[in-house]
Amino acid sequence: MQIEQLSVAELVEHIGKGDLSAAQCTEHFLGQIRDKNDDNGAFLAQCDQEAADAAKQIDASIAAGKSLGPLAGLPVAVKDGICTAGVTTTAGSKMLSKFVPPYDATIVSRLKDAGAIVIGKTNMDEFAMGSSNENSAFHPAKNPWNHDHVPGGSSGGSATAVAARMAPVAIGSDTGGSIRQPASFCGITGLKPTYGRVSRYGLIAFASSLDQIGPMTRSAEDCALVMQTLAGHDKKDSTSAPVDVADYMAALNKPLAGLKIGICKQHFEEGLGDEVRAKVNEAIDVLKSLGASTAEIELPYTQYGIAAYYVIAPCEASSNLSRFDGVRYTNRAAAEGLEEMYSKTRAEFFGEEVKKRILLGTHALSSGYYDAYYLKASKVRRMIKNDYDKAFESVDLILGPTVPTTAFKFNQHAADPLAMYLADVYTVAANLSGVPALSIPCGFDSAGLPIGLQLQARRFDEATLLQTAHQYQTQTDWHQRSPQS
Amino acid sequence: MSNLAQNVAKLARIDLPDAKAEAVQENLEKVLNYVQQLEAVELPDDIEPFFGAIESVNAIRVDELQPSYPREEILSNAPDSDGQFYKVPSVFDE
Amino acid sequence: MNQTLETTPAQRDAVTDADVTLIVGLEVHVQLDTQSKLFCNCSTAYGADANTQTCPVCTGMPGTLPVINERALELAIKTGLALNCKIANYTKWDRKNYFYPDLPKGYQISQFDKPICGEGHLTISDAKAAFETRDIQIERAHLEEDAGKSIHDETGAKKPSKIDLNRTGTPLLEIVTKPDLRSAEEAKAFLTELKLILTYIDVSDCNMQEGSLRCDGNVNLHINVDGQKIATPIVEVKNLNSFRAAERAIAYEAARQLRVWKKDGLGIADAPKQTRGWDDANQKTTKSREKEDAADYRYFPDPDLIAVETTDQEINAIAATIEYLPAKLRTELMEDYSLEAYDTEVIVSQGIGVVKYYKTVADFLTKSASGLKSPGKTASNWVAQEVLRYLNEQNCEIGDYPVSGGQLGELLGRIAKGDFDQTRGKDVLAQMLENGANLEAAVEKLGIKTVDAGEVEALCQQIIEENQGVIEQIKGGKVQAVGSLIGKAKKLNPNINPNLVKETILKQIGI
Repeated sequence: MQIEQLSVAELVEHIGKGDLSAAQCTEHFLGQIRDKNDDNGAFLAQCDQEAADAAKQIDASIAAGKSLGPLAGLPVAVKDGICTAGVTTTAGSKMLSKFVPPYDATIVSRLKDAGAIVIGKTNMDEFAMGSSNENSAFHPAKNPWNHDHVPGGSSGGSATAVAARMAPVAIGSDTGGSIRQPASFCGITGLKPTYGRVSRYGLIAFASSLDQIGPMTRSAEDCALVMQTLAGHDKKDSTSAPVDVADYMAALNKPLAGLKIGICKQHFEEGLGDEVRAKVNEAIDVLKSLGASTAEIELPYTQYGIAAYYVIAPCEASSNLSRFDGVRYTNRAAAEGLEEMYSKTRAEFFGEEVKKRILLGTHALSSGYYDAYYLKASKVRRMIKNDYDKAFESVDLILGPTVPTTAFKFNQHAADPLAMYLADVYTVAANLSGVPALSIPCGFDSAGLPIGLQLQARRFDEATLLQTAHQYQTQTDWHQRSPQS
Repeated sequence: MSNLAQNVAKLARIDLPDAKAEAVQENLEKVLNYVQQLEAVELPDDIEPFFGAIESVNAIRVDELQPSYPREEILSNAPDSDGQFYKVPSVFDE
Repeated sequence: MNQTLETTPAQRDAVTDADVTLIVGLEVHVQLDTQSKLFCNCSTAYGADANTQTCPVCTGMPGTLPVINERALELAIKTGLALNCKIANYTKWDRKNYFYPDLPKGYQISQFDKPICGEGHLTISDAKAAFETRDIQIERAHLEEDAGKSIHDETGAKKPSKIDLNRTGTPLLEIVTKPDLRSAEEAKAFLTELKLILTYIDVSDCNMQEGSLRCDGNVNLHINVDGQKIATPIVEVKNLNSFRAAERAIAYEAARQLRVWKKDGLGIADAPKQTRGWDDANQKTTKSREKEDAADYRYFPDPDLIAVETTDQEINAIAATIEYLPAKLRTELMEDYSLEAYDTEVIVSQGIGVVKYYKTVADFLTKSASGLKSPGKTASNWVAQEVLRYLNEQNCEIGDYPVSGGQLGELLGRIAKGDFDQTRGKDVLAQMLENGANLEAAVEKLGIKTVDAGEVEALCQQIIEENQGVIEQIKGGKVQAVGSLIGKAKKLNPNINPNLVKETILKQIGI
């Protein structure tokens, strides 16, 4: 059996039946990491001992005939911006290079309770700020389909890990596209849930009102299985929604007949690569063949999404990152007095992009600028949300490309950071409005790089996203393709 | 707004050497110029800002004690501590 | 702000106290008496070892999130209601951003534009006119989290500061008055009344030594110069750690501002708001060492918290938990117990426990000694003198007082009946305090028994014979000299009723 090619359901089934021990399975994926990480940099840390111990426990439970969690024995990679008790959690920053959280993020506890085994912490853009993984303070992860290309970001390490078969599942976080864009670049399935669907407790905040944790997997079915464990109210997170969780697995096999898919013209206008357009259009045809219908919709205010996002996210970030001050759990620069300690520590241990966004946000919130920036952006945000509410009165889903292009090369946007920001052009609106969105692979460009299709749905309707993605994946095999490296 | 970068850096407690200030300023201005398009966006008069993607209310908890964390565990990540307190350079630097 | 009126040194020299109005607004931080902190489940208890009451949330560890303590909200609303504030049906949370080592997140969660309590007022007795009251307007009261404690090296050697985060996250209600106070005494009166209210409604222990009640004042002067008003720059005076400190600091600051203005003539538009700290040891305000330039707090709505909605029904339910307010009890004691304002204040200022005790004593006495002219006054005398003295000496609370209100009432009833006199009654009380509170046992132990009429006659006869000199004085019109004879009688028999002795002697010598 080729363990790394098994689906989540298959892995859990084999482990439950005992024809694959959790220890074997864990060791297999840890071996994959050891083999590949030097080349692709997907992981910042490997949890060999912790994972082996956890696997032993699962195997003991199986031997004792105890009832098992729904993910018993499943190896999971966790983005390094998510706290893991006793395991260094850096958020891709030198600031936190020695930070060992004394607690698990809620989703880590939930995964562990379900029997999943954390095998490592994945690489990311520092504090989740970036779309290429080039902002990792340690080393960038590389796109498994072509190491000259970025894996996307900020959850680039998670996407690389799944695509390169180093983990069957990785957890990412998405503030403006940080799950979907790397999923698109690496040819995997990535879900950004509805804001409030998954607890943020333990996710090192970038922009609190936009951040959301979600699963990154090979297939929609894997995604649904993992999402079932991640989703749910958490009393430690005031912004977590007290809304019942749907049965995602049950939803997968419902036929698409009657499904109304909205197509927004804006998503197909200038800036969109021809090959991406062609593949997305093919995907539309597949869905139509399954009984879905399409309708044109309008999201007029989403054209201001990037602008609103680059006000709101830096504002929140500037405040969220104030706690990294050299006092309690960060590194500290040598200094004579307190003020010097603050400014030297923050200058030395934050990377350039992080500093830039902190300065932007600090400026936008400072006296005299609040109304023009933060308040105005938040009003535009309301209009974007209203656009979505209106669109979802007539359609069940909104479909389009995840990113205008396929994965770009390292350093490609070094000269023009704004061009990099525009990689989020189709993804930020879901964060601003709070709706769930998912990216699945829908083909490859002529260079052999994956193309992603984005689906967005009504709030808390992850089930329809997963159902549609799964039905699509019953007709296509893009999600089953493996990169050479 | 020539001193923007330096003023903001001071407010954000990020040391910004003079030699780098101009480049940082330029970088900030690029983004600020881009987001300035928001100024021209016309909105209905009565539009309420949307600050968070959840608009429910009343996430509150009962007032009850839970054990605090052991001090060693809390202080173990500190860059400087004497085992009882966090230590920071003198506040009264001039 | 308008330009400050230009004045000449001569004009300024001519200004007298009568031309100067002191303008004071107060910001009072009250620690609310919850078990756990505002946003996590760590204890708020005072005095624990440094950094033993913390967790990832209150030390601001990455990834942690706040969840509001319901009880803190209730106590804040209760306080607002006691201060006649409009309670907000919708309240939200904002971040106040600034860097300080005892502020773990680099921002304080507070309330900016939608505080939980809106405008209200607190009534104080007018310092200028006895028995008059004045309403001091309250601007708002909002909930926020306390910071930790920094222990600085004061030797000047620039040694590291030490940070203790136990206090971090303790719920605070910041009560802000309008600039309505007109004198240092009035500020003190406001604080005294505020503290009394807070203790009556049991929302805070108000222990100023432990920092449960902290006060800052905004002080400036309005000076009348030839009919034009000049405002001096506003100074925020911090570190007012006792009511006495508040009073003295404000008085000092008023005098200082007048002195400075007479020298430089600068008005509110000419100088930024200054922060000064009260130096209690040297009895003066000094300019704070903290930097002034960075006070840009960049308030914005906290995206980690959601709004709180409170219905009128919920607010009414909280209002129903307010049993006693000092103002209402003052009226009650004056009207139902016929106490004077002064006596009322002595009782009411001691807190609800003493008020309840007093009422038990007075009610008992009213019932058991119906002939007594003013049972309320008698009870208040005993409570104010005997009971409060004991509490003071023993440094204890009314709940610890060994003699119950009913027992004291009974004792006073016996005195009223003439079983023994006041002085003897105090002996009985002392006996009760010392050896358990049983009245009969105490009376017996002291050997008090009723002296019969024949004994009194005989004793008086003896005294008259032995003190002819005094008797002559009395007969000569100096009736008060009988007092010394009563003393002698009491020496002979401590249980004798002095009034009866007086009556008998006077009768026997024919006066």
